[in-house]
Amino acid sequence: MNTNVFGASLSRRGFVQAGGALLAGFALAGRQASAHVLNPALPESLPLFGSWIEIHEDNTILMRTGKSDFGQGTIFTAYRQIVAEELSAPFEAITTVVSGDTDRTPDGGGTFDLLGGGMPNVRKAAAYVHQALLDLASQRLGVAKDQLVAKDGVVSGAGQSVSYGDLVKGQKLNLTIPVKGDLNSMFGLTVDGNPPLKAVSEYSVIGKSFPNSVIVSKVTAKETWVTDVRLPGMLHGRVIHPKTLGSKLISAGALDKARYPNSQLVVKGNLLGVVAPTEWEAIQAAQQVASGTKWTEWKGLPGDQRLFRYFKEDADWKNAPVAAAKTNKGDVAAAIASSPKTLAATYELPFLKHAPIGPTMALADVRPDGSVYVYTHTQNPQALRTGIAFMLGAPVDKVVVRTFAGAGHYGRSNGGNAGAEDEAVILSQAVGQPVRVQWMRPDDLQWSTQSPAALSDVRLSLDAAGNLSGYEISHYMPAMQDDRLVGALLAGLPTIPAPDEKGSIFGIANGMNDPWLYEATPAVLERAYGTGQVGQASSPIRAGLRDHSMRTPGQYQQNFPRELAITEAAFLAGKDPLEFRIQHARQKRLLGVLEAVRDSSGWKTRAAGGSDGLSRGQGVAVMFRAGTYWACVAQIAVNPGTGVIKVEKITVAVDPGIVINPAQLKRQVEGGAVMGVSMALLEELAFDESGITANDWRSYPILTMADVPEIKVVLVNNPGVGSYGQGSEAANALAAPAIAGALLDATGKVARRLPLKPAYVKALLSEIRGQSPGLRGHS
Amino acid sequence: MTALVVNGVKREVQAPTDTPLLYVLRNNLELSGPQFGCGMAQCGACSVLLNGKEVRSCITTLGSVAGKEVTTLEGLSARWAQQKGLSGAALHPVQAAWIEEQTPLCGFCQNGMMIKATELLEKNAAPTVDEIKDAFTGGISPHLCRCGSYTAIIQAVQRASAAMSNATSKRSHA
Repeated sequence: MNTNVFGASLSRRGFVQAGGALLAGFALAGRQASAHVLNPALPESLPLFGSWIEIHEDNTILMRTGKSDFGQGTIFTAYRQIVAEELSAPFEAITTVVSGDTDRTPDGGGTFDLLGGGMPNVRKAAAYVHQALLDLASQRLGVAKDQLVAKDGVVSGAGQSVSYGDLVKGQKLNLTIPVKGDLNSMFGLTVDGNPPLKAVSEYSVIGKSFPNSVIVSKVTAKETWVTDVRLPGMLHGRVIHPKTLGSKLISAGALDKARYPNSQLVVKGNLLGVVAPTEWEAIQAAQQVASGTKWTEWKGLPGDQRLFRYFKEDADWKNAPVAAAKTNKGDVAAAIASSPKTLAATYELPFLKHAPIGPTMALADVRPDGSVYVYTHTQNPQALRTGIAFMLGAPVDKVVVRTFAGAGHYGRSNGGNAGAEDEAVILSQAVGQPVRVQWMRPDDLQWSTQSPAALSDVRLSLDAAGNLSGYEISHYMPAMQDDRLVGALLAGLPTIPAPDEKGSIFGIANGMNDPWLYEATPAVLERAYGTGQVGQASSPIRAGLRDHSMRTPGQYQQNFPRELAITEAAFLAGKDPLEFRIQHARQKRLLGVLEAVRDSSGWKTRAAGGSDGLSRGQGVAVMFRAGTYWACVAQIAVNPGTGVIKVEKITVAVDPGIVINPAQLKRQVEGGAVMGVSMALLEELAFDESGITANDWRSYPILTMADVPEIKVVLVNNPGVGSYGQGSEAANALAAPAIAGALLDATGKVARRLPLKPAYVKALLSEIRGQSPGLRGHS
Repeated sequence: MTALVVNGVKREVQAPTDTPLLYVLRNNLELSGPQFGCGMAQCGACSVLLNGKEVRSCITTLGSVAGKEVTTLEGLSARWAQQKGLSGAALHPVQAAWIEEQTPLCGFCQNGMMIKATELLEKNAAPTVDEIKDAFTGGISPHLCRCGSYTAIIQAVQRASAAMSNATSKRSHA
């Protein structure tokens, strides 16, 4: 038997007494689409691992995904719902979700873009399996396929029916699905072809608020976190990182064997590690060695106080291709020259940390036979595996990466590396035992990557009617995706190139990431300029301030200046900033979320000050990202005496098209909004000329519960779109421009730099009107 | 050898007395509730109850807890059962509320959040939102959540509060 199922191949491998199943596996369609990311010398492809979806004779279903969970819950909720829906099986039938592990999952790819623009791999895979099940049922029942209907895991037609379990009973069935791509690249494999998909109008599982199954095990302390993994003979490791982001080792401190008799010191290039049988001894011994270790000095950074002058005056923005938005149109210079009202302003965003609550931690076991096992919490196990193999000069198939629950880190490891994995491998290889490397809090703030700082220049103009007649923005941001393994870098072992080096995948170019949304504007010019990472090229260890994508990457940096500038334009025109947006928008779904956020937030045409001496204001921001429209209103109270901003309420309206799981999406949006308020009010990476000076939660503060606003989430379910947009991450980007807009509304002053710390706001408010960049709008 | 009572069971630990309790719980006693977040008592991921009071196990030495009672996330359900005179309980009402409200996102901080909620509700059965915020923000440091689950935590504490007072009133009417 060999049946063609819309390009997939269904075959019977034999009959078995027990444990019959249909296994959906993969075959590459033709040659691999992408070249190997790291080194052409490495093998082009590896054998593809087993199955993705398994239909078992007891009517249970197992699914596998190369993605892992970082607190989105998607792989345990939305993925199950999508698979159940396409299979026409009950949600509860999917009893097992295998995720992440490189030796147990088929497709790789990163934990980002989880819903894949409405077409995640799991959806197509399930659609193929569904067709295969209908073919099997047609053969079994002797009924034409088009006469069959599947519901709740049972196929019926012509008065007969058979369950999925019965269809596979006693058989070994394989379905080979066409895929394309490169398993070991950052993006993994993509399911190919076009199997028929279930009509949205027939959905019964998608749209319901199924709970996230992993929450029970986490709440009851039954989950195996990465922090819980232990191996026989395992040693605890602590690493000693260089004194600055450009220091080389002069001499390692001597380990005090009298005090720490069971500890060992490992020195590899500019990376030092101490391992010991107990965690406390490893910590103390590492501190003792660090205190005696000597490093060269380095001062290659501008320091946080001079950062934006560095961007303006010193950084080289001419070396990278300039990105121009596809929506650019008209003659902006002419429009600005001929308009009665104009505005020119610069906006500045600081470096941010992903700042996971748990610092990165990994356990590595480099075995005598050369095989390497890494136990960690990564968004991209296959890419990490490739990087580890490259570092060791070993074949990729010698490396296995297993993933476990851990602290969310919001994009930091979407290219594989969170920080500790390669260091654990280096230490394990050196001592010949499994080593668990736990970064301490200062390591995690000072040696992880950051979300890049950015600067944007805006010029805009209003016509006589107060409408936007011209808009120009130039975005400046250093390279954002440095996936080099930091331990390999310090140890002098092979890594992928830095963003400014030959062969880099992403390079130093900046992209246009924030789609233009105000189509009524006749002349628009948006451009994005890139440069190398700050201090990296001049660092003797090629470190400097390494950057990495973080929630809403690149788009946050472009949306803040755009949305605040639009609010300023509205004030300049004497118009309500929300109505101003409605007047300039043309896309129906954008208008929908703007109206929803206006109607549900208590938006007033003019917010009033309170009788409590605080100035109150409201602001709005919008975004289109990955198929989803967002609008956010912030309502704030400002204390003019202290400059303290209290965010009283955040309202977010979101239209992702089809809402897959309302309750889970609502929680994700709430979380994103809280992170957004935190970024707007508090977050800014402190660094001097040598390195990052933030080293704890006091020097890199995040929002606490005391300051959490009332949060209202409005989900706009829009099934007519026929697809599901991405979940929640944009929620974190919207708060800052909405809050800055509310500050303008409350005080007439514009804060064009984040964060809105009290000293900054107070200084802004104390400026004499007329000398400040402030605007007074309608009143 | 240091003796302490962990989740109702007497345990003896062979470790230097200056070892932070967190490492004793995780490595010597193989408990997985308390997490390492900062090691500086700034985040609350490592919280446990020490004689009923929430403390940060990352800065609490083994020597200082000799003879005392430590309750971790693993011991919450038994603690509730004992307090209510039940033969057993699958979940502490705080845990049940955390599940019903779907509170955790990544969940790494939630051990400390549930420990703090338990301490709060044992002292104040019906806290206001401001009292909840005070409890989670005051003390040695705020309890931090990076995923932004604070709203869900407040709702879960309120749900647990209602469940616990229902349990109490049912018992008193029995």
